[in-house]
Amino acid sequence: MLKATNLHAGYGGSDVLKGISLEVPEGSCVALVGANGAGKTTLARTLSGLLVPRKGQILFKGKEISGLPASRIARKGLCLCPEGRHVFAPLSVEENLLLGAFPRLPSIGPFRRKASADLEKIYDMFPILQQRRSQQAGSLSGGEQQMLAIGRVLMARPGLVILDEPSMGLAPLVLKEVFEAIVTLRKSGMTILLSEQFARNALSVTDSAYIMEQGTVVLEGPSADLAKNPAVAEAYLG
Amino acid sequence: MNPEILAYTQMAVSGALMGLAYALVAYGFQLTFAAGKAVNFGQGELVMLGAFVGLTLTGIGIPYWLSIAGAMAVGTGLGWFVERSAVRLALKQHNEGWILLTIIIGLFAVSAAENIWGREDKPYPVPWQDGSIDFYGISVTWPEITIAAGALGAMILIEIAKRCTMFGIAVQAVSADPDAAELCGIRSTSATSLSWAVSGAAAAFAGTIIGPVTTVGPTMAAALTLKAFSVAVVAGLDSAIGLVFTGIFLGTVENLSGFLLGSGWRETPGLILLILALALRPQGIFGKKIIRKV
Repeated sequence: MLKATNLHAGYGGSDVLKGISLEVPEGSCVALVGANGAGKTTLARTLSGLLVPRKGQILFKGKEISGLPASRIARKGLCLCPEGRHVFAPLSVEENLLLGAFPRLPSIGPFRRKASADLEKIYDMFPILQQRRSQQAGSLSGGEQQMLAIGRVLMARPGLVILDEPSMGLAPLVLKEVFEAIVTLRKSGMTILLSEQFARNALSVTDSAYIMEQGTVVLEGPSADLAKNPAVAEAYLG
Repeated sequence: MNPEILAYTQMAVSGALMGLAYALVAYGFQLTFAAGKAVNFGQGELVMLGAFVGLTLTGIGIPYWLSIAGAMAVGTGLGWFVERSAVRLALKQHNEGWILLTIIIGLFAVSAAENIWGREDKPYPVPWQDGSIDFYGISVTWPEITIAAGALGAMILIEIAKRCTMFGIAVQAVSADPDAAELCGIRSTSATSLSWAVSGAAAAFAGTIIGPVTTVGPTMAAALTLKAFSVAVVAGLDSAIGLVFTGIFLGTVENLSGFLLGSGWRETPGLILLILALALRPQGIFGKKIIRKV
């Protein structure tokens, strides 16, 4: 479904990504594991169109998407839940969720009614968001903001969702809830690319994985095999 | 009532109503700042052009109400043009060149207006020129009522559109986090263009309601930009209600100082207010803090 070949991208003069290739087949759940600074977020930003690659090719559903604005790529169904949540702080929780469905909703008119079924689904998944629906998103706790960010990206009914470091800065209990949500999504058949610094959780919920180091892929394979690999265990399982 | 107090009150009321027009022009600053973190320093020039276009349209026999619509159409186009042709280029390079560019476009607009319409101030004819209403001895003219109703109405309408349409919420999203808005499928450049177009329409509309009270001439532009800028800075760039209060305050004070100290002193309160605000409270009196937890 998503196929990137020989991607080079970065900020300013130097490349952060130095020839990355990866593939996310339809219906699969793929992990992207790497330490801080390995280039996971740069890769996520490049795949979603926030950053234009210097070299290389990105195919989504068989069509070249590199160079398109991020909004076009999102409308095609490749949606990023960015690192650091990036919820719209001054807007309400419900407005944040509605924005996730922006391309589908009428610009003027009964957009809340049109989105109500999708909102219902998200509130079922994260009941806390329903309680906080009219609160400013910026006032939520880190975990709640993460749930909101995931809820917002799901409102888009994405074909493929990239979750960039959803566990960042979360308390263990909230972390569990977020990962349960990922498992639920996976069971529903959604195609997922999950970027994580800590491999244990990521490898346990995914089919296959790529291990990144300094802008390149150093290892790839089925998640279960990588979890048993002593080199991975030493570097990323702690 | 004591005739002297009555005269002061009359001046204060007229000033306050005019102040609402300043608030509307300043509101144009807020709109573009929210979406693109830039403002049009030629906003007063847009007001002037709007007034001239409206005046020209009434001159060829088009009724006042329709002349407003025509002026707003031109204002929409001009607002869009300024963003598209100048501001976006500067912001793309992450520099502050938009300040100079919008000032230059404004200067160009003034010379164009002088060439097309002449330097003299012209009266803007309205259907009810002579009428006025008396409240306990204070008379309020119909054009003044039009300013108050029009300015408040336009701001309320835009605020409702911002909160209650998906378009408006999307523009707010772009203002809060342009990258995240892109990820939601919102083209942030289009949202910015839209804000500039609406801001231009508001400025032109302001021209058509100010014109009947002040007369229309190329010199109105610079004064209006300065006053609106003072109001926007004092109120802060994110509070519409703050603009209304500040606009009323400035309008009142300037009319009273013109009355008490002579008409040459009319512009002084705006300047003093601007300097005080910049020195003491740069985020504005009504500037709000966004709650943000990490």
